[in-house]
Amino acid sequence: MDEEPERAKRWEGGYERTWEVLKEDESGSLRATVEDILFQAKRKRVFESHGQVRLGMMRHLYVVIDSSRTMEDQDLKPNRLTSTLKLMEYFVEEYFDQNPISQIGIITTKNKRAEKLTDLAGNPKKHIAAMKKAVNSMCVGEPSLYNALNIAMQTLKHMPGHTSREILVIFSSLTTCDPANIYDLIKTLKALKIRVSVIGLSAEVRVCTVLTRETGGNYNVILDESHFKELLMYHVKPPPASSSSECSLIRMGFPQHIIASLSDQDAKPSFSMSHLESSDGGPGLTLGGYYCPQCRAKYTELPVECKVCGLTLVSAPHLARSFHHLFPLDAFQEHPLEEHKGDRCAYTIKVFTCPACSSVFCTDCDLFIHDTLHCCPSCIHRQGTS
Amino acid sequence: MKLNIDGLLVYFPYDYIYPEQYSYMLELKRTLDAKGHGVLEMPSGTGKTISLLSLIVAYQRTYPLEVTKLIYCSRTVPEIEKVIEELRKLMEFYTKETGEKNNFLALALSSRKNLCIHPEILHANIVVYSYHYLLDPKIADLVSKELAKKSVVVFDEAHNIDNVCIDSMSVNITRRTLDRCQTNVETLQNTIQRIKETDAAKLREEYRRLVEGLKEANVARETDIYLSNPVLPDEILQEAVPGSIRTAEHFVGFLKRFLEYLKARLRIHHVVQESSPQFLKDIYEKVCIDRKPLRFCAERLRSLLRTLEIADIADFSAVTLISNFATLVSTYSKGFTIIIEPFEDKTPTIVNPVLHFSCMDPSIAIKPVFERFQSVIITSGTLSPLDIYPRILDFRPVTMASFTMTLARTCLCPLIVGRGNDQVAMSSKFETREDFAVIRNYGNLLLEMSAIVPDGIVAFFTSYVYMENIVASWYEQGILENIQRNKLIFIETQDAAETSMALEKYQEACENGRGAILLSVARGKVSEGIDFVHHFGRAVIMFGVPYVYTQSRILKARLEYLRDQFQIRENDFLTFDAMRHAAQCVGRAIRGKTDYGLMIFADKRYARADKRGKLPRWIQEHITDGSLNLTIDETVQLSKHFLRQMAQPFRREDQLGLSLLTLEQLQSEEMLQKISQIAQQV
Repeated sequence: MDEEPERAKRWEGGYERTWEVLKEDESGSLRATVEDILFQAKRKRVFESHGQVRLGMMRHLYVVIDSSRTMEDQDLKPNRLTSTLKLMEYFVEEYFDQNPISQIGIITTKNKRAEKLTDLAGNPKKHIAAMKKAVNSMCVGEPSLYNALNIAMQTLKHMPGHTSREILVIFSSLTTCDPANIYDLIKTLKALKIRVSVIGLSAEVRVCTVLTRETGGNYNVILDESHFKELLMYHVKPPPASSSSECSLIRMGFPQHIIASLSDQDAKPSFSMSHLESSDGGPGLTLGGYYCPQCRAKYTELPVECKVCGLTLVSAPHLARSFHHLFPLDAFQEHPLEEHKGDRCAYTIKVFTCPACSSVFCTDCDLFIHDTLHCCPSCIHRQGTS
Repeated sequence: MKLNIDGLLVYFPYDYIYPEQYSYMLELKRTLDAKGHGVLEMPSGTGKTISLLSLIVAYQRTYPLEVTKLIYCSRTVPEIEKVIEELRKLMEFYTKETGEKNNFLALALSSRKNLCIHPEILHANIVVYSYHYLLDPKIADLVSKELAKKSVVVFDEAHNIDNVCIDSMSVNITRRTLDRCQTNVETLQNTIQRIKETDAAKLREEYRRLVEGLKEANVARETDIYLSNPVLPDEILQEAVPGSIRTAEHFVGFLKRFLEYLKARLRIHHVVQESSPQFLKDIYEKVCIDRKPLRFCAERLRSLLRTLEIADIADFSAVTLISNFATLVSTYSKGFTIIIEPFEDKTPTIVNPVLHFSCMDPSIAIKPVFERFQSVIITSGTLSPLDIYPRILDFRPVTMASFTMTLARTCLCPLIVGRGNDQVAMSSKFETREDFAVIRNYGNLLLEMSAIVPDGIVAFFTSYVYMENIVASWYEQGILENIQRNKLIFIETQDAAETSMALEKYQEACENGRGAILLSVARGKVSEGIDFVHHFGRAVIMFGVPYVYTQSRILKARLEYLRDQFQIRENDFLTFDAMRHAAQCVGRAIRGKTDYGLMIFADKRYARADKRGKLPRWIQEHITDGSLNLTIDETVQLSKHFLRQMAQPFRREDQLGLSLLTLEQLQSEEMLQKISQIAQQV
């Protein structure tokens, strides 16, 4: 009677030692120390984003999703695959929100093969639809890191030099089945300046450590689902561009949204260029839209690359949204709690003050301000009143 | 940085220091001050070597009259090279800091190809070489006998020092040895004949010298120039070589007779065990060989070989071995036993008689070292329980201390697995080891671990036979096939070439993300000399308690001797021996503070206090009640959690101030307080 590793029901799953989470940490127990280190890392991330670094604002990112046997493990609920895809949907939305002029593509790997789920494209809808479909796919066999990276590389190497080339691997398995020496591929990736980051779902694997170290990416392993989300969100921010990457001026079009007034009798509904290829049709004929300033092709959505003349079409708010990456908020100064007893939110051991208006914030607020708001609410408030 | 260790200025060639290194140096200094011996246990990967070197070198410089020389003994050539590397760093640092030209001379004796030039040793301040140069009487005589008394001797990785001592004093004689000896003796005879015809004066000169006795050696020893050789006991030196073996021909005749006697003794069909006096009595009755000439046998042979000017001593190893045996057996009436077996234990059908002349008392070989040198330091990562070493080696240490590893994160995770998921107890003990359920549970443990541990896993079995049985059984049950879906499997065999091949492939598989399991044997080559840093060993699984094969007659004799002479009970010694090997095995995975690894003890007997208490302190303190007698499932959950925690980014800054100190941090009052708790005196 061989025991099958698969477990069908939730209650048959692993022991979740929830009481250990609540454990008080005297004498520096494991949990406390590791969490301390994590907290330090979080802070550091905030600091790292400061200073004048060049950021790769135009990103080309391939996400490789491991779909091997191990993705059926139920340590993430309901299983790793479903959980990952759900988080990925969120990630894709967030990614385009923060990087409006970037593109993303998805690759899956299972059964020693790798295949493209979606091509590099700037439209979140397509990716999300593909991932919704992928939830029901089978997880079988072993992943192949080599094949997945190779597919991504074939496309990325043709991307222009001023854009960033990135691969993000969500790696659940502890092994990879490769047709050739992966270290040669790593060298090639490095030469092509493709940055590979890995998020591990189970443990630290050597080959990923080398891969990320060589290509200048990040390697993290998740602790639980919320940590997973946090790590994914970290990749939403554009990475610093390497100083050796090319600089070039890019032609961009800023088309106006023109709606032919209903009163205008000459107005005729027309097709959007981006709908020409997609078979699912969509709304088809519309009256208004964005017209390429160069060739007058019509599009209903931005950003997009003009199908006719190849011009990148964006709207001004898109660019503005990426603005805060370039001028991030200064890091707050850290103080021990004692100095600020009685101030607003102060649950933590440390408090943080804004260097501009010297308002006091707790750790969580500090992170929220730096990660989400990108401006100090107190400063804004003052600007408003004065 | 420059440290102040209890009033002594120590140059330490790194910018950061581990707290335990500081503590270690304090203990070391105290030992040197007291001019006594010390036993110090400090986990591997915490910079033992550099602490030893920097402190002793500083001591030598400050008190050049107190300590003149450092003799650093290590086990293997790579280890010796590592020591030299550290030493070089230290010396560079000295030159940089003090600005003066370095007048220190260090000497490493690693292998035959770069063997020493004798007088050099006398002037070197530091000598680094293998144990055998000091312990093995055959080599020690050549290399080490002129080392000054005011030297500090360090035995690194000394957890097996008693076995090294015993091996160096034991002799095994097979038929092959005797045949080769026969040829040797014939060559000797021919050479003597030839020399007699050409240069008879030479032989006469030798004869004259022998009449005068071994005065020279005696004078040397009395004036304290030489390290005494345990094969050459003091009494002999005062006497002259007896007349019966003084001339060369007579001696050859004597050897021949002795050889014939040994041959006759090997013609047996059942096992014989006797003591040295019994053997001497028997030899006197059968071939009329007295005790006295036997005692001089080794010395006489050496003299003869010198006279005949035979350059290639290696050819005469067989006859040298026999003569050493003759001297030892007639010199020591206690501490040795003679066992003659008609066949080996493993092959009871093939006749292959062996005469084991086995030393049971490690203190005999090491006694001259303790007596001669003012400080002898015995150190290793695993020396627990510390108090047993002074007992079996028969010396009185002034310091005995065990150091823990200060860690910024708990990077080792010892787990004691006692049951399978079916609640059947797991154990390698004799009664249950053939049990189907136990073998299946062991298999399931490895299977489950192979699915969650990244890269490399090293599994240790108690013996080759046991490993073969289990692996065969796993194969039949299909467990092996399932494991191979997760990782490749490599097996250590008794063939050294095969093993090193397996090891190489294992490392390759760990490197490129394929993942691998190495099945090996405690006490084997892998368990002793090979480190599995980082991804090469993310988990070590110890299947069973590695007790030594207790049916061996040599072991039985030794246990009896230990009980009678040192009042160490058989069981205590066996457990001690098993646990030190288990500790060695699991210690393979952690080779430093940035490393991490699981240590899985798969036997419910490990949970008992008498076993657990014998593990080194740095492992023991991480075994909580929650990690005892686990089932496989619980082990998997704990391991998963541990591996995720350890995979979080860990940088040098995280260690700083906790387990890695700058000079300022070291000097803070609070830190010194903490450091004083690192060392535990026994």
